[in-house]
Amino acid sequence: MKTTITYNGNQIIAAFAGRLDTAAAVQTAEDVKPLQEAENKEIILDCEQLEYISSSGLRIFLGIRKDAATHGSKVIVRNINADIRQVFVMTGFISLFEIQ
Amino acid sequence: MDLHSQMILSEYDAQLPLIQRLEQVVLRVLNEALERNGLLVTAVSSRIKTKESLEGKLALKGDKYHSLSDITDILGARIITFYTDDVDRIAAMAEQLFDIDWQNSVDKRRLHDLDSFGYNSLHYICRLPKSLVDEPDCPQMNEMRFELQLRTTLQHAWASINHDIGYKTGVEIPPVYLRQINRLAGILEMADDEFSRIRTEINDYRRRVQQLVQNGKLDDVQLDGDTFRSYLNARPFETLTRRIAAINQAEIQEVSLMPYLPILKVLGCHTLGDVSRLRNKYEEDAYTLARHQLGNTDLDIISSSVGIQNICIVCILAQGGGKIGLTRLFNSLNGENEYNEMLADITFKQAQTLPFMNH
Repeated sequence: MKTTITYNGNQIIAAFAGRLDTAAAVQTAEDVKPLQEAENKEIILDCEQLEYISSSGLRIFLGIRKDAATHGSKVIVRNINADIRQVFVMTGFISLFEIQ
Repeated sequence: MDLHSQMILSEYDAQLPLIQRLEQVVLRVLNEALERNGLLVTAVSSRIKTKESLEGKLALKGDKYHSLSDITDILGARIITFYTDDVDRIAAMAEQLFDIDWQNSVDKRRLHDLDSFGYNSLHYICRLPKSLVDEPDCPQMNEMRFELQLRTTLQHAWASINHDIGYKTGVEIPPVYLRQINRLAGILEMADDEFSRIRTEINDYRRRVQQLVQNGKLDDVQLDGDTFRSYLNARPFETLTRRIAAINQAEIQEVSLMPYLPILKVLGCHTLGDVSRLRNKYEEDAYTLARHQLGNTDLDIISSSVGIQNICIVCILAQGGGKIGLTRLFNSLNGENEYNEMLADITFKQAQTLPFMNH
């Protein structure tokens, strides 16, 4: 599991690659820490290379969303595959995130 | 400037640090009390009269004052409210907080003749009581008076514009313009009363709706943003969501269910009674769908919207809405995008094998 964070003007892009399962969650949570304090930014969670997301991964996404709301930032989940999109529906989180 | 006025100005210089301390205390006490009483206002502000302004006042009517303590508006605080009713509520609050010098306080709202309109504001001359501040080495904190002005946003707008016009023109304003300005005060007084009346009626309506919801008379309540919010306070989907959470012993994340209001309307709900019947009719099938979807996963976190979401999915399918209906649902929840059709397709296929599709 690899997380890459890049900055592009007002955007912060966190690109995830691999399987975001329980084992990978601890390192991923550490990797996304720079997003915690982002003020008035557009945070893009780019999931083009993300193959799988577990509950632990969902919790990381929820944590990012909560921090962003506190700091006036907005979170957009982008390029998720069909399986992960289905996870968002099954868990009811589809109405919580802006998914593109 | 005469000697007497100069003495008052020297007093001002000497007491300025004390006045500044008083200002801090007054602002803190007011803000804390407003918060405690749940009173939302447009603004709380204060100002200390500048030395130049005091000089001007003394030049005009200096012989009226024996000492600085005779001038009651050296420190002025102002609260601007949204509603005219709130002026009276905050006045009552100020009466509890401060010692009011009634002799010098004035309710300008009541000074107008029946057929005249103009400046409306409540001015209280106050002192800090010892119950709020008791500093034996600084008794002046309880002796010094300050002015508290209370007015609505519209009264403030009129007063500010009237002040601006009066001071900027530098010439005497012809009566015709004064009449025009004053008749605007009358219109704003009417608008203030209307805003208060509307607020009261909305609050009455909310209370009636809450009562109907509590009494279960849901068919009498039209479905709209306010009524749906009141209905959700009774947590009508919680039992279903908890059952769904139990499938995987999942944690439930609280989210707003308000995005489902337009969907329920599209599904033909006009009253809260319709929503309640929709829930009763489809909750078992909604649970079956969730068990089918989540039972084969280890997902142990769900949102509190999953119950109502599945009810909507099942209702759409049971009413023959098919993939197009599901796509519309996802468009409403997630914004229109090309993937919603694919999601609708997956959900439709998953549901195909479930009993409710074959009723």
